[in-house]
Amino acid sequence: MKKNIIIVLALMVTAGCSSKSAVTPDEGTSSQPSLSSSSSRPELPASPSGYGFDQWQTGPLGDVFYDYDSATLSTEAQEQLTQNGGWLSSHAAKAALIEGHCDARGTSEYNLALGDRRAASAKEYLVRFGVSPSRIETVSFGEERPFAQGQSEEAWAKNRRAHFVVK
Amino acid sequence: MMQFFRGVVFSVFALLFCLLFPLHLVAAEGQEYIAIRKEGSGNIALVLDKLDAKGRKETKFAQSLDVTMHDGLDFTRLFSLISPPLNVKEHSDRNSVVINFPALTSVGAEVYVGGVVTMKSDTIILDMKVYEAAGSKLLMSKTYSGTEADLRSMAHAFCADLVQLLTGKRSVFGSKIVFISNKTGFKEIYECEFDGYGVRQLTNSKSISMNPVLSPDGRYLAYIDFSSGRPALSIRNLTGGRTAVVGKSAVSIDPGWRNSNEVAATLSFDGNQEIYLVNTDGTISRKVTNSKSINISPTFSPDGSKMAFVSSRNGLPQLFIQDLASGQVNRLTFSGRYNTQPSWSPVSDKIVYTTWEKGGEINIFTINADGSGLTQLTQNCGENKSPSWSPDGEMIVFTSNRQGKEKLYVMSAKGGDGRILLQVDGEQTQPSWSLFR
Repeated sequence: MKKNIIIVLALMVTAGCSSKSAVTPDEGTSSQPSLSSSSSRPELPASPSGYGFDQWQTGPLGDVFYDYDSATLSTEAQEQLTQNGGWLSSHAAKAALIEGHCDARGTSEYNLALGDRRAASAKEYLVRFGVSPSRIETVSFGEERPFAQGQSEEAWAKNRRAHFVVK
Repeated sequence: MMQFFRGVVFSVFALLFCLLFPLHLVAAEGQEYIAIRKEGSGNIALVLDKLDAKGRKETKFAQSLDVTMHDGLDFTRLFSLISPPLNVKEHSDRNSVVINFPALTSVGAEVYVGGVVTMKSDTIILDMKVYEAAGSKLLMSKTYSGTEADLRSMAHAFCADLVQLLTGKRSVFGSKIVFISNKTGFKEIYECEFDGYGVRQLTNSKSISMNPVLSPDGRYLAYIDFSSGRPALSIRNLTGGRTAVVGKSAVSIDPGWRNSNEVAATLSFDGNQEIYLVNTDGTISRKVTNSKSINISPTFSPDGSKMAFVSSRNGLPQLFIQDLASGQVNRLTFSGRYNTQPSWSPVSDKIVYTTWEKGGEINIFTINADGSGLTQLTQNCGENKSPSWSPDGEMIVFTSNRQGKEKLYVMSAKGGDGRILLQVDGEQTQPSWSLFR
């Protein structure tokens, strides 16, 4: 194993990084960053025939999608959860695992927390809908298990999701 | 001291040297010499002479020791290593070596290091001597011995003694770095020595491992392990004991040691993402935070009395500091919209962290615990993440995608000078440097 380890203590990698002038950090702000505003969010139909139900979903329950850095349920997300809740109500013997996922931007620890909140918000909606909390487990994978590869808003939007696994 | 000042007055070279390298060697109690380095002063100008050796074996070992000592001292970024002048050892006969100190000061050297390698049966004996160049005083004379397998540790033992002698501080020699690599296709935990040597795989879970961090005494490794299907805090006893898993339900996130008995991590089993202190046996000691927002990434002041962490209680993630005794929380960062990954210096009140900038770069900053002294350490190099201090607080290891794939780099804690730590297959992330034992 040690053979393919080359310890490089050379200066070769120091060049090209800090040649430009200092970047002044942003002033404190609570506004949404420009690189991912909610207006750039693509259409994600929640109908059973649409995106989020057949291409990515692996069971009868459709996935729920979120805005950047958000665990808030959009109208579309609530519609999908209502459908999922209806299915769970009519299949009382089934349980569900909700996986919270994030896009790969930002830092992985924060994304693990954000995925946890996404899964929790979906569970909370279903519990209020009438599904017993004992039938719903949640977990977060943060940015560790992206469903779509690539560095585009289209890929990121597919990864900001709560994924349902029927148990 | 008188001798030193006389040198300044009477030697043009010494005068130049003092202007260029404002470092003064002064005698402290107990015959120890400590370099008092002024703020912003340069490195210690050092001549590391080729080791003397007679015989084929001795010469081979001496060459190996030369390289390891040179690379080790270079790694610390504390020294300007000057090539020895050709006439550095004049008038040497069979039994003694006379060092030409005027020749050393003429090339700007402050300190001269030389040594001899001999063998007694299979034992390699390394006699090292350290001199102050200006005063030609012997500062240290020490013998190291071992077998061929010990050459690296012998060289580093001397490097550690030299740094201790000249700075009064302990150094990185002997410390370790744990990190994540996906070279097997899975994110597993690895360790290597401070300079990237001796990479060793520590987990083989074929799942996802995250955020490894060694306890201050080096006995435990805390990390997040997905083997059970969910991210769980695992505390492995490295001295051969069991691994405690804080299962509970929900998730565990990003552990940080308060001391060798307590590790803090986020646990979300009660519905909120709160930071708890956990004992090494996996039992919960106490809950630290109390906020419905995200609370993650605990890191502690050297005395363990304060905790810096990330919270989204004001919206976007920012750093906060909580006093553990009073529970009082103050916001630390007001600059930048997405500040995460804090790491508190093991020797000072500085906290290093990352900011995700508007343009998509992630950069490393340091800030004092009182909010002053904000300093940017990286720029124009893509995403730079997961900074972790060296045990002496002089360097920072981090991950960067500046050359494409994510790799580990080490830079001075003052910024710049980022050098790649190791080149292995796959991507390496989330490095954490061990503390002194």
